[in-house]
Amino acid sequence: MRRRHRSGRNLAVAGGVVLVLFGLLAVFGSDIAPYDAGERAGRPFLEPSRAHPLGTDDVGHDILSELIGGARVSLMIGLAAAAIAVVAGGLLGVVAGFRRGAVDAALMRTVDFALVVPTIPLLIVVASYLERGMRSQVVVVAVLLWAEPARIVRSQVLSVRERTHVLAARTFGARGPYLVRRHIVPAVAPLLIAQFVRVVSIAILFEVALSFVGLGDPVRRSWGSMIQFATDRGAFLTGAWKWWIVPPGLCVAVVVCSFAFVGMGIEERVDRRLARGAAG
Amino acid sequence: MSDGAAGRGRPIHGHRTLRRLAVKVPQYVLIVLVAASANFALPRLMRGDPVLVLLGEDAGRLPPEAIAKEKEDLGLDRPLVVQYGRYLSGLVEGDLGYSFRHRRPVSTLLRERLPWTILLVGSALLVSTLLGVALAALAVWRRGRRRDVASLAVCTFLESTPPFWIGLLLLIWFGANLNWLPLFGSVSVDRSTGLERVGDILLHLVLPGATLVLSSVGATFLLARASLLGVVRDDYVLVARAKGLRERTIAFRHALPAASLPIATSVLLRVGALAGGAVIVERVFSYRGVGTLLLEASFGRDYPVLQGGLFVLTLLVVGVNLLGDLLYPRLDPRVRR
Repeated sequence: MRRRHRSGRNLAVAGGVVLVLFGLLAVFGSDIAPYDAGERAGRPFLEPSRAHPLGTDDVGHDILSELIGGARVSLMIGLAAAAIAVVAGGLLGVVAGFRRGAVDAALMRTVDFALVVPTIPLLIVVASYLERGMRSQVVVVAVLLWAEPARIVRSQVLSVRERTHVLAARTFGARGPYLVRRHIVPAVAPLLIAQFVRVVSIAILFEVALSFVGLGDPVRRSWGSMIQFATDRGAFLTGAWKWWIVPPGLCVAVVVCSFAFVGMGIEERVDRRLARGAAG
Repeated sequence: MSDGAAGRGRPIHGHRTLRRLAVKVPQYVLIVLVAASANFALPRLMRGDPVLVLLGEDAGRLPPEAIAKEKEDLGLDRPLVVQYGRYLSGLVEGDLGYSFRHRRPVSTLLRERLPWTILLVGSALLVSTLLGVALAALAVWRRGRRRDVASLAVCTFLESTPPFWIGLLLLIWFGANLNWLPLFGSVSVDRSTGLERVGDILLHLVLPGATLVLSSVGATFLLARASLLGVVRDDYVLVARAKGLRERTIAFRHALPAASLPIATSVLLRVGALAGGAVIVERVFSYRGVGTLLLEASFGRDYPVLQGGLFVLTLLVVGVNLLGDLLYPRLDPRVRR
């Protein structure tokens, strides 16, 4: 049993290392990249060479530099959307679980709705009403992802508020805000962290899908819009897909997968801690 | 459905199905109502001329008197309550509005496109379930720590890969490079008939279907594996082992039937995610389903088609969810308690 944990932890550690690398790439990307992502660095449609390791695109942008720039866009949208979704969902979950009654019922029906509605079609419809850009992308993705954290946090709050130490605090006259701050928030915080990591990976996948169908930011290129441009310029008819379509997709898969591994590692830990908390 | 259970002399199950229905149906009705109301509210909350938002931007090219007439037909001057009532009663009759871009009612458009999406999603769901469960049975049968971690890693990676990217790679490899399969569309333009047409449709289904299967089989595998592992710890498996049955027989003959039904129903509950993936994958293959229609509508700002499409997909997913909810206790006697 202990061994099983260790191999799960290896995956989490590997995921963490990959994420740190991509994080550095996103932060210092403009210093590392050989060219500016928007600069015409060479002739269009160049094959990979020493000057352009991944060739150039249809207007002569260096694809490697675009790929590095895409890390920042995709990660930023994913992290921002997940942060909003988890904070909002967590807040709603705490309120619903703590106050119960009509607030809870209304909120849970909304959660039911948000969990059943087919997300990607909804994403497309909402995005079509809004201006295209990074900010609306973040909002759209966040709006679609708050429900799961809200549901999970609520059920945890429901269990915590009945535990003996919380009941004891109540009998000593502790009131709502104090109880929430002192007992509820610490109890749900680890869950929120696990949820955050999980939601980031979904948010990145959503952003990439949205950009791929052309509903992304028209100016800043993410990994999704790189793939979109490559397919629109017929990269799969020439050999160019090997260095134009494969790398951005692979980056997405590796980053999302790393977030998932880290999330699993955290969840395992949180579950064990929560189990201990429930017993005590 | 309750009659069948009563016929087998267990009327109590019939009652439970009814009770479950009584809880679930209003919930789903509420969800559909919220979806419909959101469709009503969204265009009216938007900035800009509500007529153009309601009719789609192509309606802007109509002569002014035609727009005025549409405005009257839509009752935009009436109170919101009246508009809402008319909207709902129209919806019940299947009126989803009119697309000026396609010059056809939205319901007709959807009726044409929906079967393709159902075919694509349905066949992908079937294949990925069968494949995922079979692989899970194999994995549980020959368990090993290293293999467990490897299968977990592979499944997570598959789930982390954008489906459309898998689709593109399949398209490049099997369509463009090897020329084995058609590159786009859901059926060839020449009007072949009978068996030939069926074969043609199936050929067009292979790549988009395989894309969806690849991107969903990992999740099914993990689910089935967890469910099988739960069963493996049950007493009757211990008994089977004590009888000296081979591990393989235990896995496929004893554990799998017990675990597969709940797996099947929980897979049904995931149909929404698959339908979402299908929307994007349809675009990669220019498959003529609701997804392609939605994306075209998104670029033309053809709002009636967008909303109608979303509404119908929601109905579909809610319907399948309801089916899953109803089947679950019938297939798995353990949750009937």
